[in-house]
Amino acid sequence: MSENPLLTPIHGITLEDYSAACAKLGSGLSEADVAKALGIEFPVWQEVSLLWPERMKQDSTFHIVTLFGQYFGEADKNPKFSNLKAEVSAQGTTNIEKIKTDKDFYQELEVARQVAYEYGLDGAQWIADQYAISIGDFQIAASLWNGQIHQDIQADYAGYNRRQDGYKKKYEQLFAAAQGGNLADDIEF
Amino acid sequence: MNEKDKTLSYLERLKQQAVNQENYGGEIKAEEAKMEVRDCPECGAGRAFHQGLTVCAYCGFKFMDIRLTDGLYIRKQNNS
Amino acid sequence: MSGVLEKIGQTQDKWFVFLDKLESRMHEICTAAVPEIREVFEQDRDPYKRAHGHLLMGLRGQINQMRSKANEVREEKIFQFIDGITSELPGHGFFTGSHDRLYTFRIACINRHNLFEEKIAFYMSLLNNAAGEQDLEAAYQEQLQAFEAIRDQFSCKQCAGQMTIPDLFFIATYVTCPFCQTQNTFIPSTGAQMVLHQARSLAEQRTAHLLKTYEESKPKNSLLYRQYLRSMFDEWNKIVPDMAEENEKFYQRLLQDHLNSINHY
Repeated sequence: MSENPLLTPIHGITLEDYSAACAKLGSGLSEADVAKALGIEFPVWQEVSLLWPERMKQDSTFHIVTLFGQYFGEADKNPKFSNLKAEVSAQGTTNIEKIKTDKDFYQELEVARQVAYEYGLDGAQWIADQYAISIGDFQIAASLWNGQIHQDIQADYAGYNRRQDGYKKKYEQLFAAAQGGNLADDIEF
Repeated sequence: MNEKDKTLSYLERLKQQAVNQENYGGEIKAEEAKMEVRDCPECGAGRAFHQGLTVCAYCGFKFMDIRLTDGLYIRKQNNS
Repeated sequence: MSGVLEKIGQTQDKWFVFLDKLESRMHEICTAAVPEIREVFEQDRDPYKRAHGHLLMGLRGQINQMRSKANEVREEKIFQFIDGITSELPGHGFFTGSHDRLYTFRIACINRHNLFEEKIAFYMSLLNNAAGEQDLEAAYQEQLQAFEAIRDQFSCKQCAGQMTIPDLFFIATYVTCPFCQTQNTFIPSTGAQMVLHQARSLAEQRTAHLLKTYEESKPKNSLLYRQYLRSMFDEWNKIVPDMAEENEKFYQRLLQDHLNSINHY
């Protein structure tokens, strides 16, 4: 693995640690918290967080970014951050556990988030308000489920689409109702 | 309400929602530039350039337990 | 058979009227939205213009709702209607006036729907372009001036000696005191940090005419693209010279991607 010069640690920070740090930032930790957990000062962290994405940009094979996604999903296992958790409510803790263990729950919320944006809402904020799940935990769940969802699509494309459409309809109705309907609801064939 | 008014009030609601809703991560506060310094928490000594960034030249306290590499501004030479 | 012809005529009329109504609603909302989008954009203090982004997404969402509605009706009321009528008509080997009428009906309905899709594309681009371009050049020049104004106003936290910040830093970094050699940490303003985030977009604004020349070339002239790419990176490096070394590696990658893409043809 260390054969690839693009994987050489930056200021001693490996891609594993950097990816986990990003996940933790997404879960509500500050840059200062993350730097401290990695044992580096703020200016060093800022270089690390500037230069790892540069490595990803330079890599036309997408190897680095793929590994980033994988390590991001394994952030909870990274020992450097094991004692460091953002403050989360009891409801949030339950939902964060659920989104990582219940694929349907994850898929439904992913659709809900997208539909929220289509109704002019900040989808990430909507998820945070409704379920107390941060964008970091949401993305961790995404990287945990992506492989399996890909297999589901290959095994039963129609079934997958049917479920997605069902979620989409459900949330379209929910968000439209909150805005007094859609603009063209009164126009019928 | 006629159709046109309905459309306009829809637009107004959408606009108010866009402007008033909380953005994820909150408002980005415009902060001024500032200067800070980190003295050694063990012996109180400052860190001089030629002594490097990672270890206190006086008492051996480790400011950072890593090896600096050639980054953007921080270079290998900044290791103590 | 006249019943069938009548039904076909009615369905076509209904489809046309239905799309007319959707288009008129689309026109109503989009023309009213353009000045509002501009206003929200101009008043949005957020550096990422998120209020503007959400408003735009919401409006695009409603246009997409109209699109889905039309697609559903096309499936259920037009195509299924055609299938239904076809199954009632005499089978293979017969070709009646009704077949003929059904065929022209189908084409007319599809053509009308294509016009509807063109209208959607038109209004989507009207919404997207309503705010105009953010003046990144002015924002950048403002940051350069702001930096000139503050660069000499810092003192060493150790010995209080006056320090000059050597460079428009866009991330936190160490600055050495010229008197006592202490490593101070300089944390740039939010505005200076944004210079890094906007640098590529500003470079693209500065070289947009070159990209346009390439895009308008027929057939696409690869040399023009490479001229654009080089100029864009030159501008990018001028804006954030400290990133030049990293940017050059990214340039090589994009250039290679481009060369690979044209070698496939």
